[in-house]
Amino acid sequence: MVDWSQVALAGVWGGLLALERRAFLQAMFSRPLVAATSMGLLLGDLDSGLYVGLLLEMFHLGAANLGAALPENDTIAATGCSAAAASCALSPGAGGTGTPAIWALAIIMFGWLGALGRKVDRWLEPYNTRLARKATARAEHGELRRAVRQNLWGMWPHFVIYAALVGGCSAVGYLVGPAVSKLPLQLVRGLAWAYPAMGCVAAAIAARGSHARRSAGWAAGTAAVVVLAFVAMAILRKGGA
Amino acid sequence: MSGSPATAALASPAPQVSPWTLVRVFGRSLFLQASWNPQGMQNLGLAYALFPALKDLYPDPERQMAAVRRHLAFFNTQPYMAAAILGGVIFHEGRIARGEEGSEQVVAFKSALMGPLAALGDGFFWLSLRPALGAFCAALVPLLGAWAAVLFLVLYNVVHLTLRARLFRMGLRLGDRLVEQVAHANLPGWGARLRTVGAACAGAAVAYLAISLGSNQGGRVGEALAVGYLALGAAGYWLTSKRFGNYALLYLAAALAVAAGAFL
Repeated sequence: MVDWSQVALAGVWGGLLALERRAFLQAMFSRPLVAATSMGLLLGDLDSGLYVGLLLEMFHLGAANLGAALPENDTIAATGCSAAAASCALSPGAGGTGTPAIWALAIIMFGWLGALGRKVDRWLEPYNTRLARKATARAEHGELRRAVRQNLWGMWPHFVIYAALVGGCSAVGYLVGPAVSKLPLQLVRGLAWAYPAMGCVAAAIAARGSHARRSAGWAAGTAAVVVLAFVAMAILRKGGA
Repeated sequence: MSGSPATAALASPAPQVSPWTLVRVFGRSLFLQASWNPQGMQNLGLAYALFPALKDLYPDPERQMAAVRRHLAFFNTQPYMAAAILGGVIFHEGRIARGEEGSEQVVAFKSALMGPLAALGDGFFWLSLRPALGAFCAALVPLLGAWAAVLFLVLYNVVHLTLRARLFRMGLRLGDRLVEQVAHANLPGWGARLRTVGAACAGAAVAYLAISLGSNQGGRVGEALAVGYLALGAAGYWLTSKRFGNYALLYLAAALAVAAGAFL
């Protein structure tokens, strides 16, 4: 059963975050870690948002909007995946809380939205070009206030398209939720294993995308420190027992 | 046009931009990219942000129209660094309105600064500060939970908003001389240090995810999974350096794990 008020909420928040990413403010509310966590919080499953956001933050860490080049749209990937994961976890019969299997499934289903988002961003550019031409024409006729106000009209297509996409992801999450609980146990276990597997690969992509000199050395060094810390803790725990 | 700039300046008292107008310009500059387009890029956003100041500076409609039109020309820079250019444009437009310089000065100012400031801002904000804080806060998720996202917002915006407001004030006060001040900030040096933080935190995240989530399984399988995840992370780094597609890598890792879970 789809909760349409939740779907609408996910859509509106997804649309607003899409605007924040490029059109307004850019205070990083639209970064995957923040966007997905806030989506999870709004929909009632914070953990799903947080862990989906953690993985996608790493995956898109090196992407940057330089000049006219358009990077993948990390925000739509984060809002879409987190809305799907939270809705899936909250759907009737799905258990009420997110699990690594659900997070992995959501990312497998909607992680590619980042690439689609870039195509949508490119597709909307001619509309903005028309707005700029209209503004110039209005300025020629002395309608200055109306000319500069054209700037704000560039936002609504982004809002509408991305709100619809995120709402759609949420609805799919609700529809898929009951089926997840009926999946064979081995497949659920495989999906649960897929979350850390994708996380490790995403973090490796992040290390590479950090643009740091000797990034491999720094990443390997801190990874070794964390591994040693875990080993030391395990030894101490065994000694205590 | 209703006469030369010097004639206009003699005919009316020296125009001023009020503090409230400056606040409005700064607020409107947050919409700089609302209608970003490949032809003029941020041109419409710039004209939109500057409009209240141009209205204050040019009560004469003809001169106001000319001022708006010169800011509808091509403009593109890093959106945060644009605050410096906005401040500088108001500085120059004030001088033009008072008849102290010609309108070509403000056009030259924008053309000269937008490229270098874009390079500085892209390098510092997009390629250093954001990835470094993103990786740092993502690595802190196991310790802080959702507060890691809040920490990211606070740390990022303390730097972003402070710098944005300071750059705007610098442009207003110094005009062209803001370049020296921006150079003193040594943003490339800070950027290089931040990029190292990003790489180090990403490495820590690989190890945490591999061991913590791998060992959730418990027993031999858990140990094998943790080692497998670490190997996957190392292989992922190597494959990315060989230009293997990121999406292909992500979905390949998922497929391997699902297959392992289903058949082992």
